[in-house]
Amino acid sequence: MSSQNETTMSDVGSLYMASMNERISKHFSTMIDMRLDQMAALTETMPFKSGEDSAELREWLTYNAQIRGFGSLSYLYDDGSYEMIYGEQVKLVEPDLFMRSMNNGVRNVCMGISSDGTQFAVIGVPFFIQTAQQNKTCIALVGKMTLEYISDTLSLEAEGGLTYSFVLRKDGTFVIHSADAYRHNYFDRVREQYDSVEGMSKEQYIAVLQEAMRNGESYSAMFRMFGDRYQLYCSKMPVSEWYLLTVMPYGSLNEKVEAMGARSLCLAIGSCAIILLALVIVFFIYFKMNQTQMKELKEAKQAAEEASRSKSEFLSNMSHDIRTPMNAIVGMTTIALANSDNPGRVQDCLKKIVLSSKHLLGLINDVLDMSKIESGKMILNVEMVSLREVMDSIVNIVQPQLRAKQQKFDVFIYDISSENVLCDSVRLNQVLINLLSNAIKFTPEGGAIEISLHETASPKGEGYVRMLLKVKDSGIGMSKEFQEHIFDSFVREDSKRVQKTEGTGLGMAITKYIVDAMGGEIRVESTQNVGTEFFVTLDLERPTDYETEEMILPDFTMLVVDDDQQLCESTVDSLKSIGVRAEWTLDGMSAVKMVEQHHQKHNDYHVILLDWKLPGMDGLETARLLRKELGNEVPILLLSAYDCSEIEEEARAAGITGFLSKPLFRSTLYYGLKPYVDTVSKATEAETKTAAFSGTHVLLAEDNELNAEIAQELLTDEGMTLDWAENGQICIEKFEQSPVGYYDAILMDIRMPVKNGYEATETIRGMERADANLPIIAMTADAFSEDVQRCIAHGMNAHVAKPIDVKEVSRILSRCLEKSGKKA
Amino acid sequence: MTLQECYDKMGGDYADVSARLRSEKLVQRFAFKFLDDKSYEMFCAMMAEKNYEEAFRAAHTIKGVCQNLSFVRLLKTSSKMSDALRNGWTPEADALMGQMEADYQATVAAIREYKTECER
Repeated sequence: MSSQNETTMSDVGSLYMASMNERISKHFSTMIDMRLDQMAALTETMPFKSGEDSAELREWLTYNAQIRGFGSLSYLYDDGSYEMIYGEQVKLVEPDLFMRSMNNGVRNVCMGISSDGTQFAVIGVPFFIQTAQQNKTCIALVGKMTLEYISDTLSLEAEGGLTYSFVLRKDGTFVIHSADAYRHNYFDRVREQYDSVEGMSKEQYIAVLQEAMRNGESYSAMFRMFGDRYQLYCSKMPVSEWYLLTVMPYGSLNEKVEAMGARSLCLAIGSCAIILLALVIVFFIYFKMNQTQMKELKEAKQAAEEASRSKSEFLSNMSHDIRTPMNAIVGMTTIALANSDNPGRVQDCLKKIVLSSKHLLGLINDVLDMSKIESGKMILNVEMVSLREVMDSIVNIVQPQLRAKQQKFDVFIYDISSENVLCDSVRLNQVLINLLSNAIKFTPEGGAIEISLHETASPKGEGYVRMLLKVKDSGIGMSKEFQEHIFDSFVREDSKRVQKTEGTGLGMAITKYIVDAMGGEIRVESTQNVGTEFFVTLDLERPTDYETEEMILPDFTMLVVDDDQQLCESTVDSLKSIGVRAEWTLDGMSAVKMVEQHHQKHNDYHVILLDWKLPGMDGLETARLLRKELGNEVPILLLSAYDCSEIEEEARAAGITGFLSKPLFRSTLYYGLKPYVDTVSKATEAETKTAAFSGTHVLLAEDNELNAEIAQELLTDEGMTLDWAENGQICIEKFEQSPVGYYDAILMDIRMPVKNGYEATETIRGMERADANLPIIAMTADAFSEDVQRCIAHGMNAHVAKPIDVKEVSRILSRCLEKSGKKA
Repeated sequence: MTLQECYDKMGGDYADVSARLRSEKLVQRFAFKFLDDKSYEMFCAMMAEKNYEEAFRAAHTIKGVCQNLSFVRLLKTSSKMSDALRNGWTPEADALMGQMEADYQATVAAIREYKTECER
């Protein structure tokens, strides 16, 4: 420990002990003052005539002094003698000092020793009283109390033994001493135990201390005892002639200070460590961040390089791809110019130029599309689209390519409930063409390509349908690595297999983008040399304001023959929804059997749908057999996804009545079968025709004679009897005059003089006749829907637009008659 | 001159009418009958009288007849005329008068020509 530290410690020690002595002195003074006050209180509060001694007074004093803890009480006379009131007499150690103080009327405390040698503190307060002793005067009341009381009260050995104090008299004798001190004099103790006191000899120290005591000054010094260093502090105690000496071993102070020092050192080291740790952590975080940034930067750089590389690759590919048709165009133009006098040659050149131009245009369109997409300018133009039309047009577009490569092709449509959806038809076409032309491009000659479309419920809700589109080929397939990049821009699988195939490598990127823009999903599954399947899922909105045309065919029985069971079932369902009962079978042989069975029961199918490509016996062969069985009446329609124009002649010869091209949407079936309804029904109707409306009386309200005659002419042909009324009023009258139930229906023109059709209808409806609710059918030259609404609002049952069409009128009339309960 | 040529001359659709009325004879009969139809005179008279409500009805009747007989050109004009008069007089109606007259006369002339040839 440095000397500076030692000095500091000495300073701290003396400061600490000075305040400690001061505190103990104050405490002592307070305690002694309190005892003196108690004693003084005895003299002042006595309830007897003051100045006179009495037995009662002594009794009262005894009682009161005892409860205040005084060991004895006595009168002190001016000659120094005592008269005991109670308790044992003590001998004062310094009676002179005490007497002097009493004589001066000053309260005091001093040491006394009892007869058995026990030391007591004696306190005295001035007190004058007349006693029985004539020759001397009582000057004070004196009481004793034990020293233990004082030492307990002062708690001289407090502070956990850190310091200890004792009370001395001037001559060094102890008034109160610590428990382990056995000597009666402090100075003896110094002489025996102390090693040295601040470089002075023991005697010198005693002299200096006594000098300080005499002068009433405080004294502080450091001494050594048994090798340990101690600090002492001495000060005078108030009221008495006593001195308080406090000793503190340096060891404990040192310990404390050192402990404090160690603690602060620990604290310092600890906080340093924490700060260091925090710095390290911050550094590491920063380092990590920096590293990630570097990594990201590197990745971004790589991506950018990749993009730039694929763009330049694309450019070089493109310039090659563009140059080839361009060269052809330029070359062919030159040849054409050189042969301008040879029209055959020029024509040939021009044809080749057209082909090359188309190809070039396709490439340029792709590039433009992609740049549009990449700059985010492509906008979907959503409108109502007929899936049937889309599929039909796609099939038509790809047919030439398919034929050129002699690939097998099939189209499947299942479970389509909503043929019309809201979509961008141009973009949808583009997706389909891209997928199909890719399939064709990458499938070798004689391979198979298949496109299928079916519908499921959309997770987007009622207003949507989910269209699942699948394009499958048996082509060269793709490597796993390439599948991951197929939807990136400007990418083509760079292997020898596809070098010969031309293209920009943009088709799939465009496709992917369009599907994404439509909120759909595109997925690919492919195995090299086995084939590729593309799956497109689109959630398309159903049109809300679109009213489907009522597509109902007569109650036919039909047979569907196709080798795909799902297609058969789906077709049968579609036919059911347009009112046709149908059966199905998977091959030609069983079809022939079924037809035979029906024929034997004289219950022929009305129409037979026959797939062209059937396993075993194909469609044409089956048709030949069927014709043998059935004769020529039953229509047999050939189903095909191909262009049938090539086989038309052969097919007709085999007995095929007509063609129906796949995919088989409900509307395809409806419109495809409709033309045969007439021939079929004509055959069945032939004998029943005149009977259809025979006996039906119809009242015709029509102001124009010419129109009336035409109507009459046409409807009479159907077996009806028509009565003509020239205007609304006449119509009302004629109806009124007819027997109830005579007229089965009224055909009512709207614009008539005197009374128009609306008024006439209202009047008739208001009549109290059983047949006032007969069917009234409006006939008008206005085909606005509000007119139709108005007709219905005025109580008419239906509306026929002019010109009068017999079929239409018959149909509506028979429907109305059926409703009103009369069979037509 | 055939009926087909007659229709071509007046701007009609013979295929349509023959499909609906089924026989040439019937078409011929009604076409001749058109010559006697008083609707056009009625229309002109009502226009002169400024009775536009009745004029509308007459134009509408002509439209109806033309629909039945597939007189396409006259049908278009009479249809425009009835639209122009549907809610009372409009300036378009006067503007259409010339066209109406021309188309009506052309139609009638074609039928007359055919009729004379038939009767020869």
